[in-house]
Amino acid sequence: MTSRQLMHRSEVAVSVELETPGMTLNIGPQHPSTHGVLRLVAKISGERIHEIEPVIGYMHRGYEKLSEVRTYAQITALVNRIDWVAGFANEVPFILGVEKLVGVEAPERAQWIRLILTELARISSHLVFMCSFPLELGASTPLMHMLRDREHILELIEDVTGGRFHPNFNRVGGVKPAYGGGSKTKKQSMDLPAGFFKRTLKAMDLMDQTCEDIDTLVTGNELVRARTIGIGVIPAEKAIEYGMSGPNLRASGVAYDLRKVDNYLPYDQIDFDVVTRTGGDSFDRYLVRVGEIRESVKIIRQAVDIIPAGPLQAKVPRVLKVPEGQVYSRAENPKGEFGYYIVSEGGKMPYRLKIRSTSFSNLSILPWILVGQLIPDLVAIMGSLDFVLGDVDR
Amino acid sequence: MSKGIKFPFPGLFKGMALTFKTMVKKAPVTMYPDVKEIPVPRARGVISLDAEACTVCMLCARECPDWCIYIEGHKVEKAPSKPGGRVRTESILDRFDIDYGLCMYCGICVDVCPFDALFWSPEYEYSEMKISNLLHNQERLGEWLKTVPEPPALES
Repeated sequence: MTSRQLMHRSEVAVSVELETPGMTLNIGPQHPSTHGVLRLVAKISGERIHEIEPVIGYMHRGYEKLSEVRTYAQITALVNRIDWVAGFANEVPFILGVEKLVGVEAPERAQWIRLILTELARISSHLVFMCSFPLELGASTPLMHMLRDREHILELIEDVTGGRFHPNFNRVGGVKPAYGGGSKTKKQSMDLPAGFFKRTLKAMDLMDQTCEDIDTLVTGNELVRARTIGIGVIPAEKAIEYGMSGPNLRASGVAYDLRKVDNYLPYDQIDFDVVTRTGGDSFDRYLVRVGEIRESVKIIRQAVDIIPAGPLQAKVPRVLKVPEGQVYSRAENPKGEFGYYIVSEGGKMPYRLKIRSTSFSNLSILPWILVGQLIPDLVAIMGSLDFVLGDVDR
Repeated sequence: MSKGIKFPFPGLFKGMALTFKTMVKKAPVTMYPDVKEIPVPRARGVISLDAEACTVCMLCARECPDWCIYIEGHKVEKAPSKPGGRVRTESILDRFDIDYGLCMYCGICVDVCPFDALFWSPEYEYSEMKISNLLHNQERLGEWLKTVPEPPALES
């Protein structure tokens, strides 16, 4: 069998006893290491995987279909829930796409607010990864530290938008305005609340401390290193072939970041680096994310200095009719390239909305990467790919 | 021991030192039923209704993504303000219910209301044992109005 060739010589003696050819192991859909409802049908022999098939769709909520009978403002509320650990980052490409179709551009201040909140969402998403990845390797301490520190980020997002996970803050032509405020209004402009910059800078100082905590707890830990270094290596060509993006691609040495490539928010006025590693193994994917938290902190510090004063909303008719046309708009989500293909036939609702979700493309490498691996490594590799099942199934 | 990992595991013990340091610190947890967290003024807790401002225009019910607002009303004829003037009609609100079992707290209804009848309140303690009790009627929504905070000051 081919499996024999994949085994290390020292393990052959052990697996002769354990060999169970053709045994099928069902992992999931209810399994803690799949962060949700992913089912894996694995053909195994002993502890080694010969063939694996991910079965997805247990969390299909039909957002693409739902969007066909909803107005653009209502879809913004829905797309928050696709990748729920970074709700704000999902809204941005959708709104940018609709703005492109309508032909309006958000005022500068609104763009900067979008940029700051997207980076906050990126930090919060990566901190969730810092919880779940060591947890899957058996370490529960980082979870407590990272969730504690993520709370500071979520508080900032709640301060501005009113929601911790589902901000629903973007509107076509800007960020949430005092839409239709009447005369005796208690509602007013949803500009940043007073003291936001001060609190943000304080939280960024805390994040520096958090990054050091991560390094102490996880990066230096010999057990984590033994479980992840050299495990699940994805070469750059394979990563590109399978359409991976985001930190998973950059860990394989491809410096591809939409923030640099596609200038969708004023990232060109900010000095930051694209974090890349060359190994492409689980540990490198983890290190890229730690580096990205540091870069995001850097971006937010600069953005707080640069952000100009001004209006938050461009002039957009109250009943928004989007002209006929189609557009693909994309953005660098915490997990990679997130895109929406919007087809409009005129009117208040899109004719069709295709969501290019990041985790779905990143997950597609599983049948290739898991062949020949041990079952304990399966958990480490899947954890390092950092997918969210709501993002896979939509 | 491969991958250059040395036996006494210095990294592991460094991590454990951090764990110990954190252990002797005070825990940053709000012990909820005894100590209550104060939500931020913009928090989307519950929607309150100013029934007098409502003109039964149905915009909120139409814009709601999952259609959880139920409005009924009727029209009455109002006597003309001066003799010989036009007879005007006025809409009277009969029923305004929000089903919080369905609501997804997006805030679109509050945004679109052109007469300032809907406001967000940061109150959050209204869980129920029966799901049917989550349907708040006009009176209950009106009571929330007292808890609506003043909007926060803005960053200049």
